[in-house]
Amino acid sequence: MSVITEEAVEDKLSFWPRHQEALYRRLESKHSWLEEKGLVREKEADPLEHEMTLNIGPQHPATHGVLRCAVKLDGETIQKCVIDIGYLHRGLEKVAENKTYQEFMPYTDRMDYLSPYSNNVAWCLAVEKIAGIEAPERAQWIRMMMCELARISAHLLWMGVGLMDAGAVSVFLWSFKFREDIYSIFDEIAGQRLTVSHSRIGGIASEPSEQGLAMIKAFADSFPEVVAGWKKLLNRNRIWIDRNVGIGTLTADEVIEFGMTGPNLRGSGVPYDVRRFEPYLKYDDVDFIIPMREEGDSLARYFIRLEEMEESVKIIQQCLAKLPSVGGPIRVDDAKKGYPSKDEVYYSMEGLIHDFMYTDTGVCPPKGVWSYHAIEAPKGELGFYLQSDGTGHPYRARMNTPSFTNLQALEPMMEGAPMGDMVILIGTIDPVLGESDK
Amino acid sequence: MSKLEFHFTPVDGPSETEDSPNPHAKSTTFVPEAVKALQDTFGDDVQEVFLYANEHTVYVSKDRIVDVCRYLKEELGFTYLVDIGGIDLFTDEDRYEVFYNLVNLKEGKRLRLKTRVDEESSSLPSVTGVYRAAGWNEREAWDMFGLRFEGHPDLRRMFMPEDFEYHPLRKEFPLLGVPGSLPLPPQTPEAGLTLDPFAAAHGSKPIKSYEEAASDE
Repeated sequence: MSVITEEAVEDKLSFWPRHQEALYRRLESKHSWLEEKGLVREKEADPLEHEMTLNIGPQHPATHGVLRCAVKLDGETIQKCVIDIGYLHRGLEKVAENKTYQEFMPYTDRMDYLSPYSNNVAWCLAVEKIAGIEAPERAQWIRMMMCELARISAHLLWMGVGLMDAGAVSVFLWSFKFREDIYSIFDEIAGQRLTVSHSRIGGIASEPSEQGLAMIKAFADSFPEVVAGWKKLLNRNRIWIDRNVGIGTLTADEVIEFGMTGPNLRGSGVPYDVRRFEPYLKYDDVDFIIPMREEGDSLARYFIRLEEMEESVKIIQQCLAKLPSVGGPIRVDDAKKGYPSKDEVYYSMEGLIHDFMYTDTGVCPPKGVWSYHAIEAPKGELGFYLQSDGTGHPYRARMNTPSFTNLQALEPMMEGAPMGDMVILIGTIDPVLGESDK
Repeated sequence: MSKLEFHFTPVDGPSETEDSPNPHAKSTTFVPEAVKALQDTFGDDVQEVFLYANEHTVYVSKDRIVDVCRYLKEELGFTYLVDIGGIDLFTDEDRYEVFYNLVNLKEGKRLRLKTRVDEESSSLPSVTGVYRAAGWNEREAWDMFGLRFEGHPDLRRMFMPEDFEYHPLRKEFPLLGVPGSLPLPPQTPEAGLTLDPFAAAHGSKPIKSYEEAASDE
């Protein structure tokens, strides 16, 4: 192998020169959040060269994926920050326009890959809304239960990784033990550990097995004790509190201004949760509270996520108690709206034809209409705006993803923070780049 | 295990009629008062009002979009901007549409604004002055559709690099991409830039990081 010359390195590694140039120009020219608020002192001379420009990511493990933060440092303090995303852009909206509604559902697993079940359900509900399909009651209860399991799984990862960022590796292993339990439940019920793809338009793919329900029951029974253990370990933990209290503080007005969503919004005292705002599935039939905090710092968001896990367990318990009394099919009983059952497909000609037609064309919502349906995913409002041209493909599928919405506020949150808090701030926003980059 | 009972020959027809309202219709998206207030205040600039699945959509002319947004935010309490997105209708007139998804947190109401944008100018005023949260959403619409938001403080592309010359969500953009439009880093030190993530689909051969032994023939 030949040694490459210096010019060649420059030539080959400086791809996308216009992109880099625009990014750094923005970093130089932008007014930081502190400047906008008038909190910046008169600029002094910099004889010791404290200022430096630093790129963190996109391949840095602490950035939770391929997030790139170009920051301008003054000593240890971040003066300005420009976030660059898109390194995981797959053009999902373009893909959706070229797939049938049902065909696109597995792609949603790859958006927020920490809670795939919520994404499946969000997509199916959006399609059901535009096409006017109602899933049977039993399917709705099962969907709700699984969505809450996905929420616990996503918050577990947030907690483990967030604590690992703060230097506590043992909690990471501890929380992953329970993520593993949830993966086993998904494996039993959906046949997949990560990319579950279990929801179908008009219902769900298969009836959960007895064993699967027993696993959920065992998990829901044992989990509150685990959360109590974490509370014992963390709520009075000097290091964890000191790393979080007063970090990334946002007021209620600011979070609305930045358009943040999910626990980040509720941590600043804005009571917005889609489960309450416009209840979908059976959320108005279960008893749970929406955890709220008013401090608006990272610690408040930690408490909210921890309490949300407890509330999710409550919802799961209620679903489990309700399920035996909700009989009936798990998928809508109409070949224009949902897949026929496999028995039907294997043993009747009509069933086979319907299965073929559904795969080939699928749901056709009315021509020229549009609708938006949102759910409360673990990270916030996940909504799909769909526009139909009367065919089996969406004419336009717009995804409103919580990670994208939240990441926008990371720039002002970082500005003025010490460099050491950067990982805490990224952790507290809880972004998933697969989702924000679409 | 409960079995699906299945009835053959489903009935064709419109899925939403007067008798069967949309099962997912929410009361939050039905905002006749806000629509009325907009019509009274802005007159002809409120072009059309659509209602589907109990969701109100108000078309406003693009010149007044900032005023409408400011009015909605300051007078009617729609303080929270959820989403902005572009739509390519691929028509001769008014090819693009941009929708704005607003929420009134106090009263628990949702409203969607839409505005039409013609292909020739492909530009409309930015609402970042009213809703700061619009910043990234408008950048995304610029990136994906090439809609220029006048007055946006930082209209860089959102996902694609600046070196990319196309707007991929436009309907004429091919699904497999344009070969050579997006250079990627070389795969070996000696090789040149990789020109396409889907190179094989366009008939080019992947670069190998090893040398193949010469065959005996």
